[in-house]
Amino acid sequence: MKISSSFFAGILWTAMLAPSIAAFAQTQNDQAALAKQSSIVFSGTVSRLGATSFAGVPQSPNTIVVRVDSVLKKPPAISLKKGDNVTVELKDRSAFQQGTQATFYTEGWIFGSGVAVKELGHELNPGGGTLASGADAAESALVQAQKQISDQDLQNRIASSELVVIGRVTDVHRWTIPKSAASRYHTSEHSADWHEAILQIDSVLKGTKPKKSKMVVRFPLSRDVAWVNSPKFEKLQRGIFFLKKDQVSGDPRTSLGGYQVDVYTCLKPGDWLPLSDEARVRSLLKN
Amino acid sequence: MYADFPADYFSSEICVPCGAQPACWPALLKIQRRLTGETIAVKVFAAFWMRLLAFTLLVMNAEIFLIERESPPKTGIGGDGVQSAGTLSPVYASPIQVKLVDLIPASLSGETNQDSEPFLAVQTANPQVMVASAFTPNPVSSSSNAPVYVSQDGGNSWVLNAITPVQRMTCDITHAMPTGENHPRGDLHAGTLACAASITLDESESNDVSSSSVMNVQSTRVNVDQPFVRALGFSNADHIYVGVNDFNQPNGRTATIDVSLDGGATYKSFSIESRNTAGQDGPSVRPAVAADNTVYAAFFGWRKFDGKTATSDVVVVRDDVGGTGPNPFQSLRDPSDKLPGRLVVKRTSIPWSNSPTLGQERIGSTLSITVDPNHSSTVYVGWADRGRKGDIYTLHVRRSTDRGLTWSKADLPHTTIRNATNIALAVANNGVVGLLYQQLSGGRWVTHIVQSHDGFVTVQDLILASAPANTPVQQFLPYLGDYDYLLSVGNEFRGVFSANNSPDLANFPQGVTYQRAANFSTKILNDGSGNPVPVSIDPFYFSVPVIP
Repeated sequence: MKISSSFFAGILWTAMLAPSIAAFAQTQNDQAALAKQSSIVFSGTVSRLGATSFAGVPQSPNTIVVRVDSVLKKPPAISLKKGDNVTVELKDRSAFQQGTQATFYTEGWIFGSGVAVKELGHELNPGGGTLASGADAAESALVQAQKQISDQDLQNRIASSELVVIGRVTDVHRWTIPKSAASRYHTSEHSADWHEAILQIDSVLKGTKPKKSKMVVRFPLSRDVAWVNSPKFEKLQRGIFFLKKDQVSGDPRTSLGGYQVDVYTCLKPGDWLPLSDEARVRSLLKN
Repeated sequence: MYADFPADYFSSEICVPCGAQPACWPALLKIQRRLTGETIAVKVFAAFWMRLLAFTLLVMNAEIFLIERESPPKTGIGGDGVQSAGTLSPVYASPIQVKLVDLIPASLSGETNQDSEPFLAVQTANPQVMVASAFTPNPVSSSSNAPVYVSQDGGNSWVLNAITPVQRMTCDITHAMPTGENHPRGDLHAGTLACAASITLDESESNDVSSSSVMNVQSTRVNVDQPFVRALGFSNADHIYVGVNDFNQPNGRTATIDVSLDGGATYKSFSIESRNTAGQDGPSVRPAVAADNTVYAAFFGWRKFDGKTATSDVVVVRDDVGGTGPNPFQSLRDPSDKLPGRLVVKRTSIPWSNSPTLGQERIGSTLSITVDPNHSSTVYVGWADRGRKGDIYTLHVRRSTDRGLTWSKADLPHTTIRNATNIALAVANNGVVGLLYQQLSGGRWVTHIVQSHDGFVTVQDLILASAPANTPVQQFLPYLGDYDYLLSVGNEFRGVFSANNSPDLANFPQGVTYQRAANFSTKILNDGSGNPVPVSIDPFYFSVPVIP
């Protein structure tokens, strides 16, 4: 009898709590999604409605001034701290009045003597008295979001790559543009200064292993603003390469060991990772 | 002017606290004593005149002091570290009100970007409104739009507004803001390059640079380089001229002007090269527009290129009707071959280096042309080439006073400038020519603004900045920029340049204002919360009064 009472009580509690747990989980997911989209997240108190906090920001009924209580996420270059006044352009002003406390999920808008942001979402801090609960939830959502962002980025990188390999650079040389293709190449300050890295492949994580486990990766050595963030390779460099067939240099085939082969590129920052990331990459490949 | 002085400046006691003790003070005080016993009205009247006299003497004294303290920059413009042989204009005797502002806003005090290659547009109808740009990335997101700097108070303060059509950061941007279409904070016409897998030119406009609306792209194409925008305001239909090096042009005649006669709604591209090239022309193609609808353009006609040196003509073309005819830019022909495009200099040797060569800067294509806004017969062109043996990169300026038909046979006086780049020329309403350039001298990048009313025979040469050239270490190229910019507005020359941002007043002889957090006592930047921030390259705006 005792057992059945406990059992029923348990069911009753579960039935009562389940919606709350589901709602809590949903809220967490929403916050994580918002946090992921947002470049600036902070908790604060609305001090003025239909106003702006510094010159140069267009004032409208949807702009409010919020005094910052705590900063949860911001890029390092941005100067934003507790006590600063931020202009927020709201999506819907009806939820706000003077004194409203909330966590704001935002994207940067205008940067001058102060910061102006556009609201992507907000979380009202219940009761208006304490910010702790809302801010704490936002903070944990941010931690979760940060991990998701880097994993998601990596997953996207894997998905968009035709070939993911672990390998070692055995040679680097300047690419000699074939005479037949020379007319397509021009000189500008943005010229890529294409170089080729010969890659000895240790293992293929995605895609088909090239002949004789060797391949050509073409990369821009130029330090021009257009190319400076592209990975640059050196002889004996090892790592994980996220590769696409060359659609940029203008001549996507070359000769390697007597064979005509496809040329690959990895142009974006993060298209090469050190071997220390191998386990993470392999784990994401399984998903 | 008087508002700039403290209230007690006008007091006869000022000589004591200010520390200046001219011999005339005892005599002045004696005069004041003799006035004792007169009526109040007479005393007030006498005191007023005495104070005016005292103030005048003080100002004269201060001027003598300033002339001594701000003696002409010793680097001159005649050469590296050599004092200019030119005589200085008498206007130099007056204290010069220079405005110099670091564009980085306070809320970006933590930034450490290499904000190089600046540009400036001033709205014609309301010169309080300005837009500046540089290689400044979107400060919060790599997927958001690249920003521009906007000022609505004549350059005293600037905000960063992400309105260009390019993601994160442009890899070339120039713009102009004529006023033909009655937009109080527009119309901004921009040419931008987006560098992803391919390089894409967008020609776009904004009707309100303070709004968050992204600029409207009106024309786009790939495979072009270095757009350079000038414009002339026409009601409802600004005339826009964009110099580009267009690799799509046939036969390697790549120097091109994109012309829009309808505010950017449509563009037509015209090759302005009429001669054979080494497969292409040089990157810089620079239009200049006069109020009477005369449009000039200068470019480097590359005749030979071996990867390290371009053998190049400096070519100037002209159109007398604003590019409205079917075959524009053919008004000027060279007597040697009767082809369109006057050869100002033939087959000069221009070094091309896309790696650090002049200090941490690359070199290869600095070029500027300007026309007197009120006398379109007078036109100046400036460029850099190898110069004499042993030189790295030497600037030159030449002038034509007959609409480009004939040119000065040699460089104008004091305009052969060694180890310098980023030349920018402008002519003010009174005919005074301004020359902005950056010279590597004694391990420092020295930014000069030179003015002359007589073709550089006599000059006023001001140093705006002189900062160490070896710091910060280059993040990418260009280090300071492939160009900077100068224009004239009323009785001012306004411009932008990029420089090392160390908060050290010794680096800025004319003074400077920082918006970002900086401690000029400790000479350290901070992030607004007191944490130190490393030195980087920032864009600077300046305004200098035009000499009479």
